[in-house]
Amino acid sequence: MKILKTLAVFAACVSFGVGASVVAAELQLPKDLPPYGADKPVPVPKIDKHTLSNGMTVWIVADAEGAPKANFAFAVRGGSAHDPRAMNGLSSILAGTIDEGTKSRSAIQIAQELQSLGASLGAGAGEEGTTVSASGLSSNASKILQLLAEVVRNPTFPDAEVNLAKTNALQALKAAKAQPGYQAEIEFAKAVFGDHPYGTGEQTEASILSVAPQSLRELHAKRFRPDRALLVVTGRVDAAEILRVAKEAFGDWKADGTPEPEIPAVPTATPRMLVFVPRANSVQSSIRLGRPAFPARDPLLHKADVAESILGGGFGGRLFQNLREDKGYTYGAYASFGADRNGGSFGAEADVRNEVTGAAITEFNKELQRMIDEPVGSAELERSKRYLAGVYLYRNQLRGAVAGSLAGLWIDGRAPEELGQYTERVKAVTAADVQDVARRYFNPKDQSLVVVGDPTVAEQLKAFGEFKAVAPN
Amino acid sequence: MTPILKFAAAAALAVCAVTAQAAGDAWTLPVKTHTLKNGLTVVVSEDHTSPTVGVSVVYNIGMRREPQGRTGFAHLFEHMMFQGTPTAPKGVFDQVVQGGGGVLNGSTRADYTNYIESAPVSALEPILWLEADRMKTLDFSPQNLKNQQDVVKEEIRVNVKNQPYGLFFWTDIARLAFSKWENAHDGYGSFADLESANLDDVAAFHRDYYGPNNAVIGIVGDIKAEQAFALVEKYFGALPARLVPKGTDPSEPLNTAEKRESQTDALAQVPAVAMAWKAPAQRSPDQAAMAVLSHLLMGDSASRLYQGLVKGRQIAVAVQGGYNWPLGNAWDFSGPALLTVFALYRPDSSADAVVAAIEEELQKILKEGVDADTLARVKTRLRANYVSGMEPFLSRADSLAKAQALWGDAGMLNQIPGWIDAVTSADLQRVVGTYLTKQNRVVIDRVPAAMAAARQPAAAAKTE
Repeated sequence: MKILKTLAVFAACVSFGVGASVVAAELQLPKDLPPYGADKPVPVPKIDKHTLSNGMTVWIVADAEGAPKANFAFAVRGGSAHDPRAMNGLSSILAGTIDEGTKSRSAIQIAQELQSLGASLGAGAGEEGTTVSASGLSSNASKILQLLAEVVRNPTFPDAEVNLAKTNALQALKAAKAQPGYQAEIEFAKAVFGDHPYGTGEQTEASILSVAPQSLRELHAKRFRPDRALLVVTGRVDAAEILRVAKEAFGDWKADGTPEPEIPAVPTATPRMLVFVPRANSVQSSIRLGRPAFPARDPLLHKADVAESILGGGFGGRLFQNLREDKGYTYGAYASFGADRNGGSFGAEADVRNEVTGAAITEFNKELQRMIDEPVGSAELERSKRYLAGVYLYRNQLRGAVAGSLAGLWIDGRAPEELGQYTERVKAVTAADVQDVARRYFNPKDQSLVVVGDPTVAEQLKAFGEFKAVAPN
Repeated sequence: MTPILKFAAAAALAVCAVTAQAAGDAWTLPVKTHTLKNGLTVVVSEDHTSPTVGVSVVYNIGMRREPQGRTGFAHLFEHMMFQGTPTAPKGVFDQVVQGGGGVLNGSTRADYTNYIESAPVSALEPILWLEADRMKTLDFSPQNLKNQQDVVKEEIRVNVKNQPYGLFFWTDIARLAFSKWENAHDGYGSFADLESANLDDVAAFHRDYYGPNNAVIGIVGDIKAEQAFALVEKYFGALPARLVPKGTDPSEPLNTAEKRESQTDALAQVPAVAMAWKAPAQRSPDQAAMAVLSHLLMGDSASRLYQGLVKGRQIAVAVQGGYNWPLGNAWDFSGPALLTVFALYRPDSSADAVVAAIEEELQKILKEGVDADTLARVKTRLRANYVSGMEPFLSRADSLAKAQALWGDAGMLNQIPGWIDAVTSADLQRVVGTYLTKQNRVVIDRVPAAMAAARQPAAAAKTE
């Protein structure tokens, strides 16, 4: 929803989340606690796969029951990593203005039509894919799909709308820069990926100003083409009807010109960087540490999922239990792998009060080293695997999330069936696998470190090496 | 790319947006209710489309009724509910829920506090056992209290003190709009109050407000209602009812004179303005009209304020807000609520210009009403939001439990669509004329410190 785009940080529900705790040693469970019941089979989405004659891929996962809602994810290959560096933000401005006018409709007409269909539509640019998603009431599924097709095929990027979007993007950039998390994220990407486009995507005033309506039209013509496009439809819909409408709406679309090239190879190792971003009056230090890892297609993926959840997944992760539940340094400490089509990273994070900045980094390092030195115990491993399987079920209860996950797999070059195989793959992971992941990616000596905080905390960083001070972005 | 925080999102469960439903995309939610002898009410809605359950335990206590001199205590107490009991020490709760494939959380609001889990149905029994166990008593440990005092302070730093705007559109707006302490105080709490909280406070709060007769359990998903009732009876049935202190009356009349405030923000770089009006009380005949008006004004990109301020006049960068925003929706409160607008505005504009533009939009509704097409569109979109809000089992369980706890009737959720459908243009005009008046509004202009310094000479020149 556009109105919230620049303010996503103020989530509509300010979470008063509380955490939980898990202590290091295995706990004695209460004697009266009832055991878990028998596991029910994990439902596997049945994907109805089609390829239109122009090469466009269509996947439909139709349900006969459940919420009366239709969900759409339209994706094309190519995203922010393809932006010329001088025009960083090009892909995201394209995503932000694709619904601001088409050959047959003005921006306000699109907004009102969506409202009348009980639908919403939003677009976003990832590193290597651009996605336009929509959802709305089942009874309007065909009309929503027709409107989605109009938006992705025939956007006009009107001058006035693009110029307004740019003006507001400049303000949104200023607003983002005031947030420590934004500063940390920018420097983290640079530290981990160096000169690669994954690391250099930072938008600037100049790069936003350099985006002209014509550059958006040209990028659209190049990137949006049926042979590099996917449509996923999920929810309570009639599969045959959806396929008919999809053929009608997309069937006469022709691929034209040369597609965008693959991006350069993503580094799997980069020199360790220690970066400090002084932020006057900061009452916390935002700590991020990590390193390059592997692309989404790597067979290590599920082993890494288990390793990351033991180290830093949810409330039960070791980082959370140590830095929050034992030490009280932070509201939350987490770790995760991020994997895109051609590369990825490992990262861990916490925001801690100024006086424990150094102490918190020490605890991160201890927990990383422990993952390398000690094989995970069977009970903790089992809990982690069950947790991941449960989170999978929880997420995919939402048919809109299924559409998004399938589009993500496609952008990453993976088979859609992998979604349904997730739980079995996670179950197969062993303690040795976890330790192997840890040896490859958790070595504290390999981790780049980014700290955004008050200038006075610099003193505490000296123990970890020589930090390069970088002016706030 | 943003490689971090993948699972945090899964765990922080947004539970918002309950609005309307109508006949077109019929989706009947079966609702069965049962009250135990000790006063605990259970609400169940079966749904076998996923082998999971959502569980929400809602207690009828929130920030509004925390003790004076103990701002932030209801929320600090919520954290203590995760710190273990004599039978299930710290750590057991989370290990058992997550080890059963579940995610969990809790949240504190003005009128209630909820504890939520979503898990494969195989984990339901241990979850209910654990919820009953912490309803019975807690491990009142000084170490755990100190630990969570530290954690809550970090939570306030990360969400308020280290962030631009610092949630002023919630806490400062409430302080300015309301007169009674119950409604006006900062529910996140002052550090001084949080630090002075002690174990006696924790024990008394648990005894007074966390008994079965002050709670509702919502269970939604792959379980039969009778089975769910039997399980709740089995694990909670032996808990005795406890005496709940009678609360004070938090209701307040509408304000009779506008209140304004200017603030500077050391961290922000873009100026912002927040406006709020005291809004219809729970069960007011104007409640549904205000819900519709809120969506008409700022519900989506076709809304009047987005089109009027961001697009048309081009003075705002973004606009958001709503009825009982940002911590709830039009239906999940029982004490006084506000309609709030929060906008980032362009540095070449001003708070006065934003306020004047909003006033123009309101006057337009007051004078002309709202055309039938627009009203129908907004209602359709509200129906869709209702479906989306109810889709996750966990949100459904939480909405049902909240409706039972705050309205005394989980079935009220099924009445909302009818209430929304009945709203007319004249209703919207009446609500604008009654509530969205200049006398009843409060305004806070919050500008970056550097911009405030630059404005200073101009202001001084004006007053000469």
